Amino acid sequence: MPLIDAGDLRLNTLQMGEGTPVVLIHGVLLGSLAQWYFTVAPVLARTHRVILYDLRGHGRSEVPAAGYDLRTLGDDLDALLSALDVTEPVDLVGHSYGALIALHHALRHPGGVRRLALIDAPLPPAAAGIFDDALSRSAEALVANLPESLRAPMAGGRRAARLIGRLATLTGETTLLEDVAREPDLDDADLAGIDVPVLCLYGETSRCRPAGERLARVLSDATLRTVPGGHFVPVEAPAPMTAAVSEFLDG
Amino acid sequence: MTDPDRAQILADLARFVREVVGASWADAVEIDLDTSFSDDLELESIEFVALAEKVQAHYGEGVDFVTWLSDLDLDAIIALRVGDVVEFIERCR
Repeated sequence: MPLIDAGDLRLNTLQMGEGTPVVLIHGVLLGSLAQWYFTVAPVLARTHRVILYDLRGHGRSEVPAAGYDLRTLGDDLDALLSALDVTEPVDLVGHSYGALIALHHALRHPGGVRRLALIDAPLPPAAAGIFDDALSRSAEALVANLPESLRAPMAGGRRAARLIGRLATLTGETTLLEDVAREPDLDDADLAGIDVPVLCLYGETSRCRPAGERLARVLSDATLRTVPGGHFVPVEAPAPMTAAVSEFLDG
Repeated sequence: MTDPDRAQILADLARFVREVVGASWADAVEIDLDTSFSDDLELESIEFVALAEKVQAHYGEGVDFVTWLSDLDLDAIIALRVGDVVEFIERCR
């Protein structure tokens, strides 16, 4: 898979299909572009230029020690789009913290976004509770406390060891958790200025659901939908997620 | 479909696996048609993506591996054996 020079950082990037561009943005800690590759990406690729990338510190991208705040992660996205010569407005699909990167991009670049699909976006970024585990536990305990659907594929030793190693690096050797904890809430008046269609897709039992209700209320053109399961929608409800997102972007 | 073809596809896949996960791990596992990507090789999802990209690049558009994968649910992808992929590539030819 190609590593693209995005600014001074090398990001693992994949593209499939042709058409209007859509960028898929995974969440922090457990996410990677693989969560899209096996779910919604090939479906969207029938009618779109689909751009997948691993955030800094994740998947097969470089792991810098700092820069996990929304502004810097947004700079990475800007640099990536520039490196790929994407100049027209894009559709953005994001999960969890990746959905906040998408929102942040829409706030920063009015006119640069066509539509937003926000999957289980937490608001305020630091107060959703989903990061409490990481803040208070070892990487091993974090893995042990994952939902069954995420743990089952890791039953063997190698995969679990590699995930624990990556989480230990991210939580112990980078500023990711501090950056997330310091991230201020978004302002409702700013959010109200986003005038593109937005899909807010949430897990039925997710702790982030109040954020979805808030976004649906505040954004000018938002639809709130739920799918079975909790916060880790791409893993817990891949088929309903793929159906909802492709219907939203293609329907 | 003759056996030499199948042997060549298997050799290609084994080479891709070694390139993706590193020879030190892959050499500890004998890769044959019955080898499970998940149980035996313990590929991570991001490694399976890299493997799929190599398969796609090597065999070209006539072998639409990624679309085939997208029609399988996650459990089926996790349960895939090397032989399943060999048979898929054979069917595309």
